[in-house]
Amino acid sequence: MDLQNLNPSSLKSRFTARFLRALTEINAPKTISSSSPREIFQRYRRIKVAADKSMAYSVRSRRIWSRATLWRLRTRSRSRRLVSFGRRASVKTRTTASHGKENKEHHGAVLGVQAEELRELVPGGEAMDLCNLLDETAHYIKCLTTQGFCVYMGGLLCEGCC
Amino acid sequence: MLHTLESLESCNYDGMDMTVLERQAARLKWQQQYYVVQNNNPVPLSASSVPQSQGLIGSNLGSGQMVELKRPEVFLGTDDLQDFVNLPVSGPDFGESEKLDLVPPEAAADYCISRTFNCQMTTPNIAVMKEEREDVILEKIESTTGSGRVSFNKRKAEAVADHKSKDKRIRGEGESEVKTKCSTEISRNSSKENSKASEVQKPDYIHVRARRGQATDSHSLAERARRGKISNKMKCLQDLVPGCNKITGKAGMLDEIINYVQSLQRQVEFLSMKIAALNSSVELSVQNLPMKEFPAYVANFPAAAKLPEMAGLPCFQLNPLQKESVRFMLNESLHPPQTEGVARASVCITEQSLSSSSMTQLQPFSTWNMDPQGLYNMYNMGFH
Repeated sequence: MDLQNLNPSSLKSRFTARFLRALTEINAPKTISSSSPREIFQRYRRIKVAADKSMAYSVRSRRIWSRATLWRLRTRSRSRRLVSFGRRASVKTRTTASHGKENKEHHGAVLGVQAEELRELVPGGEAMDLCNLLDETAHYIKCLTTQGFCVYMGGLLCEGCC
Repeated sequence: MLHTLESLESCNYDGMDMTVLERQAARLKWQQQYYVVQNNNPVPLSASSVPQSQGLIGSNLGSGQMVELKRPEVFLGTDDLQDFVNLPVSGPDFGESEKLDLVPPEAAADYCISRTFNCQMTTPNIAVMKEEREDVILEKIESTTGSGRVSFNKRKAEAVADHKSKDKRIRGEGESEVKTKCSTEISRNSSKENSKASEVQKPDYIHVRARRGQATDSHSLAERARRGKISNKMKCLQDLVPGCNKITGKAGMLDEIINYVQSLQRQVEFLSMKIAALNSSVELSVQNLPMKEFPAYVANFPAAAKLPEMAGLPCFQLNPLQKESVRFMLNESLHPPQTEGVARASVCITEQSLSSSSMTQLQPFSTWNMDPQGLYNMYNMGFH
């Protein structure tokens, strides 16, 4: 059996700890869990946000995509709080998009279409040139697999507990 | 002219018996030939001179490597200069004519040959002829001696680079067809052979040798370095993404990567949806869980234990159809429908996921593979 998960400083253990903590926070207030689909959907949203957040926090600011995710989450939470005042907040950042487009034209749009798709997928990818984008994609893939595995295990845990 | 001299000095002529001064002299002579040509009217080449050049090659090949080394001197003879002495040429070039006497005596034989050669030619377009001769010589040498020595190839590359850079500077647009044909031929022949001649980047940033047939300006070098970096990273990504070994080409690879990232993201969404749907008011104590429970769970699912990072993925290769069903479920959950509808939607999802993945890793989901009524009951149980 692999002992990766027993390393206290590994990405997996950091992520699982945070995610489980978030899960307890989500589940705790609900003494009577209703079966309403709306509730389910809301809980799904919160769980998904918890997963992304815990993943980004585990990586800290070492990566561009983690910084972008954290920024996006913070702006979203801020915009939600300010919605009551009637203010429309922009969720997605487009300030750096022009810079990215310039780069694309400079270096020739050999892989332009796919690079753009990749930029949309990877958070914070709009501002990166192809070189950094590939780096970020590699790290992002690694973290996504870890996230998927841990959420899967968390689900098994919850299922086993109930 | 000065920078050509510098470039010449910087090159390593291994095994050559030439001093810097001799090389300078040779270069000067070569330059003077070009300079002279500029002042004269162009005259068409004589066809008879071409076979003569081949004769020259035949005689010169006996000396083997020496032919190539003496290349600058082959075309430069004291006699050539004397022919042109009477012509109006600018002062500085001939001010350095004294250096010509420093040509080593070994080159005398070559000079004799070149003398006979040159006498029959008309003066202008000599540079063209000389280039053609050089190219032909290079070609012949290439074909006969093969691509054995890397230094040999490097010198050739340098010579051709010099060639081309000189042409750019002196000729401009006035390139003759013959020369371009020769050079393209050479580049075609040598592109396969000279694949070993790599970029030699010395600590001094000025002196860079490029591959044969490629530009040496800084932009293209930077571009080449960038492309190299990108291909390295694509190789790393190829290791990360499963099933990418068969695909060649950047575009296909990128498509695969995009699909993989999308499926990973959907997988996380699906899993969190599952947790949200299944989750009851369970109190998870964080202290106990991570270190102890997970190994136990991992042991329970041997398939998952084999590839911990990949455990989730084969289960959850959500194709677009599944994504649609997830969306359908989400849409449904927004409006207040029946619980049964939600249950049916989730059954659709799980059945599809079951069909598209291996069974061994789906033990937790086996409980879902029930009739809708049973699932509905389970839901009720789960939520109360």
